[in-house]
Amino acid sequence: MIKKTLNSPKNYKEMRSIVMIKKRTFSGGYFFKNFTGHPQEKIDNCNIPSKVIIPLKQNFGNEVPSLVKSGDKVKAGQIIGRNDNSFSSPIHSSVSGIVEEVKKINYFKEVISSVFINSEGSQDWQPLKGHNSDWEKLSSEKIEELIYLSGVSKLDNQGIPTRFKSSLISPEEVENLIIHGVGSEIYNLSLPIFLERRRMLNFVEGVKILKKILPKAKLHLAFNKHQQNIIEEISKLLSGLKDIEIYSLEPKYPQGYDEILIPTILNEKFPYGYSAANIGVIILNIQVVLQVYEAVAEGKPLIERTVTLCGSGFKEPVHMKVRIGTPLEFIIQDRTVDNIDLRFIQNSLLTGVVLSDLKLPVNSNFSQIICLPEEKRSQSFAFINPGFKKDSYSNTFLSKFIKVKKILDTNVHGELRPCIFCNYCQEVCPVNLIPHLLFRYVEKEIINQSLMNLKIFNCIGCNLCSYVCPSKIPVAKYIKEGQGKLIDIGYDQTLCILPYFDLKGIEDYRGIKHL
Amino acid sequence: MKKLHLIIGKLYKIKYLTKFKPIFNVVDSIFVGVKDTTDSAPHVVDNLDTKRYMTAVIVALMPATLASIYFFGWKALAIIFVSYAAGGLAEVTFAIIRKKEIHEGFLVTGLIFALVLPPTTPLWVVAVGVIFGTVFGKEMFGGTGRNIFNPALVGRLFITLAFPSIMTTSWLKPFTDAVTSATPLTTFKSMQVVTPFSNLLLGDCTGSMGEIFRLGIIVGGLFLILTKVSNWRIPVSYLGSVFILSWLGNTFLGVKVAPPLFQLFAGGLLFGAMYMATDPVSSPFTKSGKWIFGIGCGIFTFLIRNFSGYVEGVMFSILLMNAFSPLIDHLVIELKYKPVKK
Repeated sequence: MIKKTLNSPKNYKEMRSIVMIKKRTFSGGYFFKNFTGHPQEKIDNCNIPSKVIIPLKQNFGNEVPSLVKSGDKVKAGQIIGRNDNSFSSPIHSSVSGIVEEVKKINYFKEVISSVFINSEGSQDWQPLKGHNSDWEKLSSEKIEELIYLSGVSKLDNQGIPTRFKSSLISPEEVENLIIHGVGSEIYNLSLPIFLERRRMLNFVEGVKILKKILPKAKLHLAFNKHQQNIIEEISKLLSGLKDIEIYSLEPKYPQGYDEILIPTILNEKFPYGYSAANIGVIILNIQVVLQVYEAVAEGKPLIERTVTLCGSGFKEPVHMKVRIGTPLEFIIQDRTVDNIDLRFIQNSLLTGVVLSDLKLPVNSNFSQIICLPEEKRSQSFAFINPGFKKDSYSNTFLSKFIKVKKILDTNVHGELRPCIFCNYCQEVCPVNLIPHLLFRYVEKEIINQSLMNLKIFNCIGCNLCSYVCPSKIPVAKYIKEGQGKLIDIGYDQTLCILPYFDLKGIEDYRGIKHL
Repeated sequence: MKKLHLIIGKLYKIKYLTKFKPIFNVVDSIFVGVKDTTDSAPHVVDNLDTKRYMTAVIVALMPATLASIYFFGWKALAIIFVSYAAGGLAEVTFAIIRKKEIHEGFLVTGLIFALVLPPTTPLWVVAVGVIFGTVFGKEMFGGTGRNIFNPALVGRLFITLAFPSIMTTSWLKPFTDAVTSATPLTTFKSMQVVTPFSNLLLGDCTGSMGEIFRLGIIVGGLFLILTKVSNWRIPVSYLGSVFILSWLGNTFLGVKVAPPLFQLFAGGLLFGAMYMATDPVSSPFTKSGKWIFGIGCGIFTFLIRNFSGYVEGVMFSILLMNAFSPLIDHLVIELKYKPVKK
């Protein structure tokens, strides 16, 4: 499954000074290249909104109880929700002001209590006590405390393990730490922006901090192979560190998924349906590492997040630094193209959720807000036009042979037809399933052992099969439906995973993902 | 186009015309296009649809089609027309009876069927063949995507067996009205004469309408492979196995077996391997299954051509292997996916 080649260093001296860069990739997947609506190479600061809504459950962890009540005065950076006894990390107020109320809101299909704060509008925030720009002087206990108290430990799928219950496993149990900036989605954060000069140094310090608190972990840094400058610079800056490897990965969707990163980088099998932490792997992205550095060296709690506004629905797609809790409509404002129907999507065009209520706030899970025009207009004779700006897995459009920015829209581009076994879904499937076969079983209501044997629970939900299908069948949706029906009759993924894996932290985790 | 859409919308609401909804839908989807948007993730989808997929096959068939019209003039045109008209009628009738959409696959079947016929085929035989192929090759199994056999080949097989004299003995040389019973393969079998390659490549020999301009077939086949519409594994394994087997046979058995290159370029092998064996519906879908399928086709073609009464084994071998494809897929999947214990 994994192709492996080594970049041989030019001479022995170079080999000693620079960390080796390994090239890896996986079978299947699809390159999303050259689309309109990529964000510009700059970071704008969003103003402080007059009111923020802070959900008391963000990213990894359980909901925490509120420490404030309406009428309380809070400062930006003050902890407003914390529970040291359950899997969670503290949550901070992102602005200074007065708590208006604490009430439950419907937030991404969950009912979460949230703190509404009327802001004073000041940019200031209250730093964490005990931070030190010369962080090497701090003990690892202190660093862990800073990371936990800053709230950064809740970021990404597994959280960052500390001696507080911020992740499923304890810091000693982490065997591998993967930090990645592959950017395999249609729209990605721009690496050069995140790792420009000063931030690059911060990033390297952040990596060293993580290395210090996770003593047994091997470090793996994975970057987009088109960013060779960054890879080389990092390998120079990190030379001398032990147990560290740098990988240059192809930006092939869904390389950035935990389920794909682990087999490509570590050559290990992934316990599908469980968390990477269960096999002792923590996966973080670039932004988190920067925030770790800021928390420890600058004492900055998790009150801000850099979000990209991308897609052709925005007049000027940019990166934006926003305070957590800022309502979406405040961020978007009049940045969108006028007079057309728009669709707002969170994080990913292939798997993201539609942001239908723009009054809802941004939480620490946001990395992108994508805006696409709803293309309800039809195109006559679409099947014989040359297609200079149309993307396709097949090479039947001329856009494959010329370098043009391709247009994305929400049209389905064709009628629903029976499956013709074109095999595209099987070719792009990153986990070697046969999606069209699973679809047939589920469509015919054949829900039994054979679906289990076809590894239906290995599906990672990347939705590529639905993307490439020329018959416009929502294959991924059928697979999900099949999983649900199998669970109803008493089969589930534990059957394929538990006998074969020695999972860590499992008792506490079981069930959380499906709640 | 908006007006057209509105007119169509009104038309099929008229009581007597409701039955013909599939026809209106086809016209609507061709001239007006799709207005629907995705309802959930993925929010964007590939631009390719089955219409364009089938159009790509038609485009790939164009060199062979134009050559056949050039060689045989109105005869070829009439056969293609009748094939489309009669087969289209069968397809539309079934769509109306079943109350389902008309599927694009027929555009390819209709053309391929015409191209595998001898240019002298009477038009009524063309009509009988294509209707039989569509009805018994495809619709009986439940329509597009469910057929076990390649519908064009089923039609062709039917008329070959029903009217053997028309289908196997009266061939036409391009640009002439001289009917002979000799094709390059029969000539070799009876006299061990190898037709020159330039004749085979450019079409100056007898054979079915679409199969004789082999240069065009190679170009079209490569086009299909490059556009990812057909899978390269089947043509490569099919042609490769025929080549290797006939090289072995020619080396060890002598002139009883035709030389390998001649075998590749004679008869309907190229056309069959490029356009018919690659039919995604009736060939296996697993990667290793495709290799087995291609090699199986190659073995059968080799055996039938060289050791049986028939000289043309491509049709039989593809149909035979079509019958095996579900079995091949089943075995490949059994081997690939180990059962999970409960």
